[in-house]
Amino acid sequence: MRKTLIIWQRELSSSFLSPIAYVVIAVFLVVAGWTFLEAAESNAGSQESLEVLLFVSIFFWMPFFVTAITMRLFTEEKRSGTLETLMTAPVSDLAVVMGKFLGAFSFLFVVVAPAVGVIYILAAFSPGVEGVDSGNILGGSVILVVISSLCISIGLFVSLLTRNQIVAAICCFTAICFPFLIRTAVSNLPVGSDQMLEYLSAETHIVDFARGSIDTRPLVMYVSGTVFMLFAAVKALEARRWR
Amino acid sequence: MIRVEHLTKRFGGRAAVDDVSFQVRSGEIVGFLGPNGAGKTTTMRILSCFLPASGGKVMVAGKDVFAHSMEVRRHVGYMPENVPLYRDMRVAEYLAFRARLKGVRGKNVRVRVGDVMQTCGLFDARDRIIGQLSKGFQQRVGLADALVHEPEVLILDEPSIGLDPNQIRHIRTLIKSLAHRYTVLLSSHILHEVEMICERVLIINEGRIVASDTPDNLVGLMKGNLQVALEIKADLDAARKHLMQVDGVTRVSGSYVGRWCRLRCECGKGSDVRDQIAKTVFDNGWPLRELTAQKQNLEDVFVAMTTEGERE
Repeated sequence: MRKTLIIWQRELSSSFLSPIAYVVIAVFLVVAGWTFLEAAESNAGSQESLEVLLFVSIFFWMPFFVTAITMRLFTEEKRSGTLETLMTAPVSDLAVVMGKFLGAFSFLFVVVAPAVGVIYILAAFSPGVEGVDSGNILGGSVILVVISSLCISIGLFVSLLTRNQIVAAICCFTAICFPFLIRTAVSNLPVGSDQMLEYLSAETHIVDFARGSIDTRPLVMYVSGTVFMLFAAVKALEARRWR
Repeated sequence: MIRVEHLTKRFGGRAAVDDVSFQVRSGEIVGFLGPNGAGKTTTMRILSCFLPASGGKVMVAGKDVFAHSMEVRRHVGYMPENVPLYRDMRVAEYLAFRARLKGVRGKNVRVRVGDVMQTCGLFDARDRIIGQLSKGFQQRVGLADALVHEPEVLILDEPSIGLDPNQIRHIRTLIKSLAHRYTVLLSSHILHEVEMICERVLIINEGRIVASDTPDNLVGLMKGNLQVALEIKADLDAARKHLMQVDGVTRVSGSYVGRWCRLRCECGKGSDVRDQIAKTVFDNGWPLRELTAQKQNLEDVFVAMTTEGERE
């Protein structure tokens, strides 16, 4: 646990030491904000709440954002050789994986939290709006946390399999897009049942949660998915030591 | 302190390390010498628990590297080849991170980081960003990192590669100053360095240990360990004939350099016949302008040991 925290601390501070972090933050806030604005304008007069539009706009950019954060996690260590110094220190593989995961997750939190907070500023400056529905925000935030955990754990696992950042980025992006696109992609094909796709589709979950209905089934799915990917990552790191 | 028995490591059928056995006693500085690709780095990676062995037994600080990996890592300070470091961190910050990662706690972190920075001459560079340091300083940071948790065993993979002569001298002095406090295993293909630092040398070639002894004994192993070069003004054939009569000289070769005659006398093992050669020269009244003993060095041993296989 102590070692995890030490690695987490380094990961987080090193995220903010590189200029990439600030570029990613700026770009993410601008594009997510712009998407939200567009969505709000084109949905003017409709029943859809602003909270739902906000979370959908944030999620729209999630694959790009998570890919940018996770692609370098282990590839960079492998490329520069620091993995060797890291893994010859008395640290368990689990501590390394968890430290990196928490580091990436905290960074994502620091970036995404202001994007969610924007809605409060908007409400404060809009005379006609009574306030923000905190139930919707809570629901949206919960699903945001679990889906981004899963995405980060996927990215982390992928970055362990290669030492090339580009390969990691492409694989990671494809894998993360999967839950977002599955419904659109498969609904037109005569395979599987609609209900099954409904269960798997991140899009459905986001909209439901952002409307304030917290369902435990998707939570269990995303959390167990995250745990499984982290387990796989630990095994991938351990594989080096298999005889 | 380090005990390696029948260590084997295969990468997809090819043996990088093949049935290697050796021991390093506590407080010894041992040089691990071999051409590139001989298996030095692989062996060191196994000793430092980064790679598993395919076969054999490796004990470091009394623990098996495979079964008690964590324990071993606590007792080993490892500096990989080319010294990988987090280039975006500052020196003191990096060393503190490494110290905490290696289990140094609380106030001790500061004390240890201070100590190793002092030992490695990093105090003035403590607030500099590692990526902006010269190669020599980065090497010192790597060494400080290996030392920071007070390990018993130091494993240094090519500690002076890529440094300029002054930096090499610094790092060499530094390593020498660590002698006896730590057990050191260092690899190198710079023979001179091993000769200067190490008490014992292991020569590895194609995954096998081909020699293990002190540098002096290894040199002594070589036949004709003394060669005397001399330049005289004389008839080449006559000079050769007279010099061959000197007791201990086994072979004389020579050629003319202008009007001078340059000769090389090879002597039998352990015999120093410079005075007798000089006497022969003076007795014959040949003008002499040079007489030097050319002792064979570790380089000759190295070349002989590591090219034997190729000749076969």
